Amino acid sequence: MANVTFPFPFPEHLSALLPEILVAVLAMALLIVDLFVPKERKALTGYLSLATILVAGVALMQVADGTSVTAFYGFFTLDPFAVFSKLLILAGTAIAIIMSLDYIRSEENVGEYFVLMLFAMLGMMLLVSANNFVTMYLGIELMALSIYVLVGYQRDTLRSNEAALKYFILGSLSSGMLLYGITFFYGVTSSLDFKQIGEALAAAPSSEHTAVLLGLVFIIAGLAFKVSMAPFHMWTPDAYEGAPTPITAFMSAAPKVAGFVVFVRIVADALPALEHETVMILSGMAVLTMAVGNLAAIAQRNIKRMLAYSTIGHVGFVTLGLIAGSGSGYAGMLVYLAIYLFMGMGAFAVIVLMRREGIQGELLDDFAGLAKVRPGYALAMGLLLFSLAGIPFLGGFWAKYAVFIAAVQAGHVYLVIYALLFSVVGAFYYIRVVKYMYFDEARVPFDFSENRLMQATVALTAMAVVVLGIYPDPLMELCRQAVIGIG
Amino acid sequence: MHETAMTLNTTELLVIPALPLAASLVAGLFGWALKERLTHWICCLAVIASAILSADVFMQVQQGASFYGNFWTWMLSDQFVVPVGMMIDRLTAIMMLTVTIVSACVHVYTIGYMHGDPGYTRFFSYISGFTFSMLVLVMGNNFFTLFFGWEAVGLVSYLLIGFWFKRESANFAALKAFIVNRVGDFGFAVGILAIWYYFGTIDYREVFNQVESFVAQGHALHFLGWEISAITFICLALFIGAMGKSGQVPLHVWLPDSMEGPTPISALIHAATMVTAGVFMVARCSPMFEFSETALAAVTLVGAITAWMCATIGLVQNDIKRVIAYSTCSQLGYMFVACGVSAYSVGIFHLMTHAYFKALLFLAAGSVIHAVLADQDIRRMGQLRKYMPVTYFAMLIAALALSGVPPFAGFWSKDLIIESAKVADHLGWVGDLAYWAVLSGVFMTAFYTFRMFFLTFHNSDRLPEKTKAHVHESPKVITVPLLILSVGAALSGWWGVEVLDVANPEVAEGYFGASLFVMESHNPLATLVEEGHHAFFLTAPFWMAVGGIALAFVMYFRETAIPARLVASARPLYTFLLNKWYWDELYERIFMLPAQRIGRWLWQKGDLAIIDQGIIHGGFVETVKAGAARMREMQTGMVYHYAFAMVIGAFGFLTYLLLKG
Repeated sequence: MANVTFPFPFPEHLSALLPEILVAVLAMALLIVDLFVPKERKALTGYLSLATILVAGVALMQVADGTSVTAFYGFFTLDPFAVFSKLLILAGTAIAIIMSLDYIRSEENVGEYFVLMLFAMLGMMLLVSANNFVTMYLGIELMALSIYVLVGYQRDTLRSNEAALKYFILGSLSSGMLLYGITFFYGVTSSLDFKQIGEALAAAPSSEHTAVLLGLVFIIAGLAFKVSMAPFHMWTPDAYEGAPTPITAFMSAAPKVAGFVVFVRIVADALPALEHETVMILSGMAVLTMAVGNLAAIAQRNIKRMLAYSTIGHVGFVTLGLIAGSGSGYAGMLVYLAIYLFMGMGAFAVIVLMRREGIQGELLDDFAGLAKVRPGYALAMGLLLFSLAGIPFLGGFWAKYAVFIAAVQAGHVYLVIYALLFSVVGAFYYIRVVKYMYFDEARVPFDFSENRLMQATVALTAMAVVVLGIYPDPLMELCRQAVIGIG
Repeated sequence: MHETAMTLNTTELLVIPALPLAASLVAGLFGWALKERLTHWICCLAVIASAILSADVFMQVQQGASFYGNFWTWMLSDQFVVPVGMMIDRLTAIMMLTVTIVSACVHVYTIGYMHGDPGYTRFFSYISGFTFSMLVLVMGNNFFTLFFGWEAVGLVSYLLIGFWFKRESANFAALKAFIVNRVGDFGFAVGILAIWYYFGTIDYREVFNQVESFVAQGHALHFLGWEISAITFICLALFIGAMGKSGQVPLHVWLPDSMEGPTPISALIHAATMVTAGVFMVARCSPMFEFSETALAAVTLVGAITAWMCATIGLVQNDIKRVIAYSTCSQLGYMFVACGVSAYSVGIFHLMTHAYFKALLFLAAGSVIHAVLADQDIRRMGQLRKYMPVTYFAMLIAALALSGVPPFAGFWSKDLIIESAKVADHLGWVGDLAYWAVLSGVFMTAFYTFRMFFLTFHNSDRLPEKTKAHVHESPKVITVPLLILSVGAALSGWWGVEVLDVANPEVAEGYFGASLFVMESHNPLATLVEEGHHAFFLTAPFWMAVGGIALAFVMYFRETAIPARLVASARPLYTFLLNKWYWDELYERIFMLPAQRIGRWLWQKGDLAIIDQGIIHGGFVETVKAGAARMREMQTGMVYHYAFAMVIGAFGFLTYLLLKG
C-alpha cells in the first residue's frame, strides 16, 4: 500500500477505498453545487464531474501499487485486476460525460444527470472490487438504479419512458433471480465470501448437488442479464434505443466491464468446483448470444439498435474468454473489453456528433454521403467500424484474437469456429454503414455538433484503434499482469 | 548486441534509411498541403543527407569499422524468430554509397523532369520510399529483412511503372512486372524457408557459419526420383528470385516493358539499383553459393545467355529507352557471369560502375525525351548535338563507359569479368560458353550503344517541324545531376581498381575483405595472376569494343544507307530480333491464354454457378435474412415476453443440468 496519511485516524486498509469515498463525497457535493449553477450554464456541472473522475483516477493511482489488499474484513478487494477495470470504467464514464455536455443542454435537471452518472460509476467501482455477494449486490443495485433513471431521462419522450420502465421491471426480475441463487449458495455453504464458497462447494456432499445447481443457474442468469447475454438480453435493444445516446454509449461499455469483471471473480473464486457445469451453461449462452447479436443486427434500420445488437454480439465473443478460463482467457477478456470500450464509444460519439436539422441522426440512412461532407468524421467512423468488425490490423482484430486464441488453447475449437463464422456475419452490417458513408448520396443536409472535446474524443478513439492495431503488445502485457492471481 | 572492435554509430545507421522513409511519408501523406516546392525540398534534402551519411559510413568501414546487431524482434512464432537488425560490412557500404548517390542525383533531376506533372508529390513519395526500401534490402542482417526490402522495392517498382495510371500500356507493364516478379519471388521465398528449415535460423552470420559443416553432413532432397543436395536446392531457389528481380532470361520480359514508367525511375530502379538486388544477394550469399558448383554453373549459364541474347535484341530496337533497357538486362547478365565464376568482387564492382553510367545514360536519354516532346523513337531524332551540348557530352561519356572503352568505368569492370570467365575452367563447357557469350556481347554492346548515340545526336536531322521549334537544352536541375554522374561514369572504374583494390586476387586482402567468400580451389582472379594474364592491356575485349563502335560509326555516321540494305537482305533475322525473340508471344501461348481460360472457368463455374447461384441465391442469404427477421419478430417490445424468455431460459438451463447429472 502506498503511504497515504490522513489527518484523522483511519481503520486499516480503508485507504483502499479512497477513490470510491472521494467519488461519493464529491458527487453529493456536486448535487448541492448544482443548485447554484444557472440553468444555461449547466455544462459546468459536467466539467466538475469530469474533474471528479480525474480526482478519483489520481487517487486510484495513489493507492494502487500492484499488490492485492482487502479491506472491510474481506468485503472489498483492491488488486491489479480491480485497478485496471476501474481505470476502464473511469475512462468510459468520462467519455460518456463528454458526449453529454452538448447533448443534454436542451434537457432540464441537468445536474442530477451528471451526478447519477457518477453514482452509477461508483456502483461499478464497488462491483469490480467485490469479494463477497453482499458487496456485489450493493454495487449492482447502485449501478442499475442510477442507470434506470438515466435511461428514462427524457421525461417527455414516450420511447425513453417506456425503455426505462421495461429495463427497471426486467432488472428487478434479474436481481430477484440473482438473490435467489445467492440464498441457495448461502444455505449450502453458510458463507457469502467468494473464496470461502468456492472451498465449501468443493467439499459439499453430493446430497446437496441439486441445491448447488439451482444456485449456479440463478446466479449466472442474474449476471448474464447485466452483461446482456442471450436469452437474458431482450431489454438491451429497447433500453439502448430509448436512452439518450450518451447513456447508450455509457451502458454499452462501462457496465459490461464491471459485469464481466465480477463474473470472472465468481467463476474463478466461487465456482471452480462446478467448472464443468459453468462451462456448459456459458457455452450455451455464448452460442445463443453470438447468433442473436449478429443476426438481429442485420435487420435493424436504427443505428442505435444496431449497435445494441452489436454489443450483444461482442458480449458473446467476450464470453469465450470466460469459458476458456485460466489467465490467458481472463486477460483476453480484459483486452477485449478495453478495446471495445474505445471503439464502441467512439462509434456512439460519431452518432452524437451527427445531427440532422437539429435531430439526432439515428437511422442508418442518415449516414449516407457523410464522406463527402465531413471526410474526417467518415474516416474515423470507418476505422471504428472496421475495428468493430475485427479487420486486421485494427484494435478489434487483436481483441478477438486474444479471446479466440485463449479459447482454442482451452480446447474449445468448435466454439471458436462458430464464433469466427458469426464474426463474418457481423462484418456485413458494420461495413454496410461504411458503404452508406462512402458510396451513397446524402438526401437531407447534414447538421453537426461542433463540440471540440467531442471531436477530440472521436479522433482519439479512432487513433487508439489504429495504434492498438499496430502495436497491441503493451495493452496485452498490461492485461496479463492484471489477471495474475485470478483463478 | 554483438560488439566488434570498431563499431559504427547505431544512430547514424538508423538515420540513413529513416530519412528517406520520413520524407516519403511526409510527401505521400501531406504532399497535397505542402505543394511542389516544399515536397521536393524535403525529399531531396533527406536523400542527400542520407547519401552524405552513407559516404561517412563508407569511409569508416574502409578503415575497418563494421556493425552487426539486432534492434528489436519483429515477429516471433515458436522457433521462428524474425529480428530487425543490420549488418554493415564493406559489401553493404559500397551498395549504400551507390544507391544513395544515384538516388540523390535522380531526386534532383526529377525536380526538372517531372515539373508540372499532376502526380508530382506522389512521385517524390515513391522514389524516397524506394530509397528506403533499397537501403533496408542491403543493410539488413538476415534473410527476412532482405525479403522485406526485396518485396518493398518490388512494390514501389510496380507503383512507378504504372505511375501514369491513365495509360493502358503503363498499367499492363506494371502488372507484367509484378506478376513476373512473383514467379521469382516464389523461388526466393522457398529458398528462405529452406534455409530456415535446414539451419533453424535466418540470420546471415549464423547461417554462413554453419554452411561448411552443413555441407559436410551431406543433406539431400529427393524430388521426383532426383537427388539434389540441400545447399544446391537453396542456392537455386534463391537464384530464381534473383532472376526475377534482375531481369534474367527467361524472367527478363518485364524489364524492357518497365520503361513505361517515367524516365527518372528507369534510371534509378530499372537500371542502377533495384534490378541489381539479385546480384547483391548472390554476392551476399557467396558463402553458400561457393559450396554448390551446380548452382554456380546455373548462375553463369543464365547470366551468359541473358548477356548475349539481350544484346542481340538491343541491336535493332528503335525506342531510345528500350535500347538502354536491353543493355541493362545484358549487363546484369555480365554481373551474374562474374558471380557464377566466383569473381563476386568483380561482379559487385561492375554493379557499381554500371549504376553510374547506366543512370547517366538514362538521365541523358530522359533529357533528350524531355526536349523532343516526349517522343522516344530514335528514328525521329538526329543532330541533337547542336541543341543539347551538355546532354551530348554526358551521353558520350556514358556510351563510352558502357561500351568498355578505357579509361571509362565500364572498361575496368567488364574487362575483369571477361578475363575471369576465360579462366573459369572448373565450370567446363559452361565456362567456355560464358566466355564467348560475354566477349561477343562486348561487340554488340558497343555497336547498339553507338547506333543509338549516332542516330540521336548525329546522322541526319529527322526531327518533326513541331519538335524542332521546341527542342532546347534542359534546365540546370537536369544537367547538374548529369555532370555529377558523368564523373562517376568516367572515374569509378579507375577508382575501384586503383584506390579500393576491388580486384585483388586474394579477396580478403582487397577492398571487400571478409564480406565475400571465395574458395581457394576456384578463384579466377588468382588464376589470372598465375597464368600471367594482366587484366589491363589491350586484349580481345578492347578490340571488340572498338570494332563495335567503328561499325556503328560506319553504318550510322558515314554510310547511312547501309542499315536499310542490311535489313532488306536479312529480313527474317531482323524481324526475329525486333520482336525480341518472340518471348512475349511464347508466354502468351503457354501461360497467359491457359491462365485466362482457367480464370474464366473458375469465374463461370466457381463464382457464378457455385457461390452466386448455389450459396447466395440457393439459401444462405435467405437463411440469414429469415433468421434476422425471426429475431426481430421475437423482439416484440412486450415486457412479459422478455420476462418469459428469461424465466424459460433459466428453467431450460436448469433442466438440462439436472437431467445430465
